[in-house]
Amino acid sequence: MALLEVQHLKKYFATQKAVDDISLTIEKGSIFGLLGPNGAGKTTLIRMITGIFYPDEGTIRLDGKPFDPVNDVRDIGYMPEERGLYKKMKIGEQTLYLAQLKGLSKSEATRKIKEWFIKFEMESWWNKKVEDLSKGMQQKLQFVTTVLHEPKLIILDEPFSGLDPVNSNLIKDEIFNLSQKGATIIFSTHRMEQVEEICDHIVLVNKGKKILDGTVKAVKQDHKENLYSVGIDPMISLPEQQRPFDVVHSEAHRMIVRIHEGNKPNDVLQYLLQNGAAVNAFNEILPSLNDIFIKLVEGTPVTRQFQNINA
Amino acid sequence: MRKISLIIKREYLTRVRKRTFIIGTLLFPLLYMALIFGTGYIAEKSRQNLNVAVVDSSGYFTESMLAKENMIDKSSTLSLVPKAGPGFNFDSAGYDAYLIIPPLNWAKGDSSLQLKASKSYGPGSTSIVEAKLNRIWDRIKNDSLDMDEAKQVVFSSSRLNLHFTNTTDPHADAKTANGIGYACGFLIYFIILIYGSQVMMGVMEEKTNRIAEIIVSSVKPFQMMLGKIIGIAMVALTQFLLWIVFVFVIYNVTKASGGNMSTTNNLVGSVQAIFTSVNMPVVLFMFGFYFLGGFFFYSAIYGAIGSAINEDVREAQSLSFPVTMLVIISIVLMTSAIQDPTGPVAVWASIIPFSSPIVMMARIPYGVPGTVPYWQLGLSMGLLIAGFIFTTWFAGKIYRTGILMYGKKPSWKEMLRWAFRRN
Repeated sequence: MALLEVQHLKKYFATQKAVDDISLTIEKGSIFGLLGPNGAGKTTLIRMITGIFYPDEGTIRLDGKPFDPVNDVRDIGYMPEERGLYKKMKIGEQTLYLAQLKGLSKSEATRKIKEWFIKFEMESWWNKKVEDLSKGMQQKLQFVTTVLHEPKLIILDEPFSGLDPVNSNLIKDEIFNLSQKGATIIFSTHRMEQVEEICDHIVLVNKGKKILDGTVKAVKQDHKENLYSVGIDPMISLPEQQRPFDVVHSEAHRMIVRIHEGNKPNDVLQYLLQNGAAVNAFNEILPSLNDIFIKLVEGTPVTRQFQNINA
Repeated sequence: MRKISLIIKREYLTRVRKRTFIIGTLLFPLLYMALIFGTGYIAEKSRQNLNVAVVDSSGYFTESMLAKENMIDKSSTLSLVPKAGPGFNFDSAGYDAYLIIPPLNWAKGDSSLQLKASKSYGPGSTSIVEAKLNRIWDRIKNDSLDMDEAKQVVFSSSRLNLHFTNTTDPHADAKTANGIGYACGFLIYFIILIYGSQVMMGVMEEKTNRIAEIIVSSVKPFQMMLGKIIGIAMVALTQFLLWIVFVFVIYNVTKASGGNMSTTNNLVGSVQAIFTSVNMPVVLFMFGFYFLGGFFFYSAIYGAIGSAINEDVREAQSLSFPVTMLVIISIVLMTSAIQDPTGPVAVWASIIPFSSPIVMMARIPYGVPGTVPYWQLGLSMGLLIAGFIFTTWFAGKIYRTGILMYGKKPSWKEMLRWAFRRN
């Protein structure tokens, strides 16, 4: 069942169509990757889903009901890319304040904060101020404030920026953990290796439009270029005649081939064996999401902005 | 509603708990007291007793008259010195100063004398000598007219004093009303500027800290802005109430201790005069109203400016300059209104919302409905309420867009476009 259904969402600003007719569905309990270059409209889309902006057109349904920005904030946890905390405020107090703003009672919020602080080994932070924390520690605290009220929908915009590998893994494990407990997670990023690792389903937006939608596996299949890696030892010279592939790249004991349209991997093997090649490895090369991303976005003027610059 | 009260509570507590708030609240009345008592004390201390040589060419001043006066007031001494030659040195003879009384001419009525000394003395020191001379002079005049005691009483009591009374409000005393008007006008002026800029800096801090988006994902931007404004208004109110309590305590303590310093007595007396001569409940209530009204009117605009700018303080200055100008114009209008509280400038400036909080507070102590008719007061209050509802609504629109907008500083024109955009 879908937790979030977005239909024909539009938001136009004076100078650009920030979100131009985007529809998407996010299954309950899934980890959803929202990808796109800077300025593609991700943040505007998220701001509509979190109730910060009203859409010009289109509908948002949360958990089967029309989205109500005032009351549904309780069910949403949002960590924006541009994030921060009150620097001079004590950490315990601040976390309590943010949780109460989400609608938790004071006692409930206090209990949950203590649980999370113990889990993340942050007990000693209660009376410290945010300005006393390192950037990584602040990110951890920020994550806690986002998920503390146990929202059904968690939206994380670049959650790993500024984190070292140890804390990155800690947050990553927690994302899986929350997903297992039934939370739905929208994960917005430029970092494709993380998307491949974490997400079930992805959507790629560019210039306000959706240009890709599917599971990670399906997307890769759709964009594969019939590339195979073949290991041959010792390498021999192969006749050009009736060769069912082109050689894209070749090394001492390995080459990368692109199979011709209409041929199958078996045809390649047959050809190689007939020509007396000793094949010791044969596997398909699927494109990385990074490659797909670049291929789809390339050529549009915003491509050059495609880099992680928020760190 | 619960969320707004959470925001108000945070804004209030973080400010009230700050060391600067506590120090400022305590220090201001202490500095004020030090100023009042200190100037009195310094004036007392800097007064010197002069030993003055009097060279009389008129022949009216006698040794016995001077001696009699010296007995009554010992703070300075006058001594008659025979006409000395040009080489006579007053300093080495032990005199601080000397004064030559010329041959007197009654018809000419020349009453200006020169007190000469090798050093400078303040008016505190010379005025005693002057008073002494005048008492002697009175006696000389009385003697030359052959006046007895009874005639002297008649002669010296023949002075007329003009005193002003407002017939519709007998409490309104023009002089104290003037003082209270000034004080109220300036207090509101300071509140608007100081706490208005606190609202602006607070909003700017939330924006540059990047916490704004986190908060607006929980509450409406309008609630966020309103919570901040109300919270800071309550901080200002708290500071005021504390000051009133301080003044009350100090007043009662000085009155009870019955201090022998004349400045203390003057102070107690003047405070008493203020409380009895002006309709205090009306003034206090109106002060509360115009204080809050004026604060809300301006702080909403300051909040909107804070949402539009980035880290740069110069941006804040250039955008808030026109608004600060309005506040300064109000105080200029106030100083003219207080001289002529029923003139057209005073009336209109106290009705138009941007200047009414400051100007009306300068007029109210003169009396309601004597100086300020009910229709003017009603119109002014109504327009101020409408005015701050408008500025809050308008600022809310700008705030909503500005708080999430990073990059270059917008112009006032762009901000107006944000305000009148559909969504």
